[in-house]
Amino acid sequence: MRPTPAAISEAIAGFGMDTITLAGPLEAKLAAMKAAGFSQVMLKANDINGHPGGIDAAVAAVKASGLRGTGFQVLRDFEGLSGHLHQYKVDIAKAMLEMCAALGCKVLLACSSTSTHASTDLDHLARDLRKLAMLALPLGIRIAYEGLSWGRTINEFTTAWDVVCRADCPNLGLGIDSFHIFAAKTSLDEIDYLDPSKIFLVQLSDFMWQETRTFEERITTARTFRVFPGEGVHSEQLADLVLRLDRLGYAGDYSFEVFNDDYQQMPLPMVAERGQRAALWLAEDVLRRSVPLPNQMRLKPMG
Amino acid sequence: MSDLLLNTSDNREPLQASFSDAANPLGLDGIEFIEYATRQPQALGQVLEMMGFRPVARHRSREVLLYRQGELNIVVNAHTADTQGAGHGSDLPAISAMALRVRDARAAFRYVIERGAWSVPTHAEVMELNIPAIHGAGGSRIYFVDRYKDFSIYDVDFVPIPTVDPRPPATAGIHFFGVVQYIGPERTNDWIAFYSELFGTEVIPDEQRFGIMPKGTLLRTPALDTSQRFMLQLVEPPLHVHDAQEKLQRIGLGVPDVLAAVQALRALGVEFVETAATHTEQRGAISKTYLGSVVFELVHSQRGGA
Repeated sequence: MRPTPAAISEAIAGFGMDTITLAGPLEAKLAAMKAAGFSQVMLKANDINGHPGGIDAAVAAVKASGLRGTGFQVLRDFEGLSGHLHQYKVDIAKAMLEMCAALGCKVLLACSSTSTHASTDLDHLARDLRKLAMLALPLGIRIAYEGLSWGRTINEFTTAWDVVCRADCPNLGLGIDSFHIFAAKTSLDEIDYLDPSKIFLVQLSDFMWQETRTFEERITTARTFRVFPGEGVHSEQLADLVLRLDRLGYAGDYSFEVFNDDYQQMPLPMVAERGQRAALWLAEDVLRRSVPLPNQMRLKPMG
Repeated sequence: MSDLLLNTSDNREPLQASFSDAANPLGLDGIEFIEYATRQPQALGQVLEMMGFRPVARHRSREVLLYRQGELNIVVNAHTADTQGAGHGSDLPAISAMALRVRDARAAFRYVIERGAWSVPTHAEVMELNIPAIHGAGGSRIYFVDRYKDFSIYDVDFVPIPTVDPRPPATAGIHFFGVVQYIGPERTNDWIAFYSELFGTEVIPDEQRFGIMPKGTLLRTPALDTSQRFMLQLVEPPLHVHDAQEKLQRIGLGVPDVLAAVQALRALGVEFVETAATHTEQRGAISKTYLGSVVFELVHSQRGGA
């Protein structure tokens, strides 16, 4: 018996999709996610700046959709710069934070720097991230710092965690992205050393190659050919990752960050349904979340 | 608990507070003024006068009035743009700013901007002071003032109200004690980090509490003159109450004798909350809520004095 839409919605409540996976206007993306049973959405700056009605219309569309913002992405190459470059990035960060606040998102994703102009000194990186967290603080926003697998200095979550610990600010934590863990082949044992309350966001995706040796290969794969959890070749590791996070005590959101050129030209409901399938696999087969299934038990047939 | 208990005399020598420039990076030296923003300046003025404040000066270019008693200044800002910003569209009066005395306003401003504070554009008119400000809790602002010794900011930006005593004495020894800030759920550590990073505040142990409203976390600002230190009380919403709004909720006024102060203020027309749970006692008292949002707390405190 196929579960009702309400039951699916409840089962996948902890999972959301990224707008970047879907083609088309923001309203269509939100509607497709909602139709697939998702209750949250990871938003990207382009969604609201590229909106034909402007920022206000985009914010109104998100609010009208009833979907909760998982977070807002993405601030790039912020840390480690100095002088006018640093000042420039502070201006960019402030604008990102204001958009994030306007959308009611509580998490801003910041990716580790790829810039050759950035310092490699971990304490310098930590100092800048602490400043970023301070900027976010009055707005009630938390910064999730994610190690890109092609980041210059920080390219694994282990070193990202080191910097977050050095910065030591309550609203600065980690963003975990399964893609970068698999691409960099970071040992999942390292997950056990994290503080679950300092993981602010987990993004999940997979890909179809066993190896991504060079940074270039990682970048191309990450930006054009990620797939949903369960669709790639690292399903076993992905399930292991999610189970480890669960055992550690992580109770936050999971979002599917699936950059995929094929999905960009597919009908939205078809892609959203693949997202739903991934969420159901994780929620029910992997995590075995025991949620009550509303409307499953019927004492008498519907009249 | 009252601060009488902190000043115990059984040490061989009195404990010295650990003062250094590192502990007070801005050279903080207490509060210069508290600002309310309101579209009802007359009604709020009436409440302030009941509390013993007197209008003493008018701003040169804006709808702003300065009230004072003893050393405490309160600015009532009815300038349209400011009231809209601070109240988030609400009609109720709101504490819209606190102005901090610092050693060097420009240096203090640079110090906090360097660490991630948001600067607020100021709109000084011709010949007015350009007072630097940053964003604080909710829609409020934090100003930095260094002209408080030889002459005051009010000498420049305000015109005295004729025939009025520019330095009205404090009623019942009222002096500034602190500000209560409402914060979102699980935001205590965030705000502790904010105030400690930018202002060098220290967390007061949970065993030390002042007044009759002990909830939340107490922070104390450093000050060049120890008697000018003041408190910030961070209060989260109760569990299971959905209220993420953040704002400066009320000011705390120190008085050497709470019962005498309550008596004096009652004579001026102030009403205090007297219920089984919350009532006037030697530790403190709390006024009823005026105009839908204005509350004053009295706290037993010897410092400052009048």
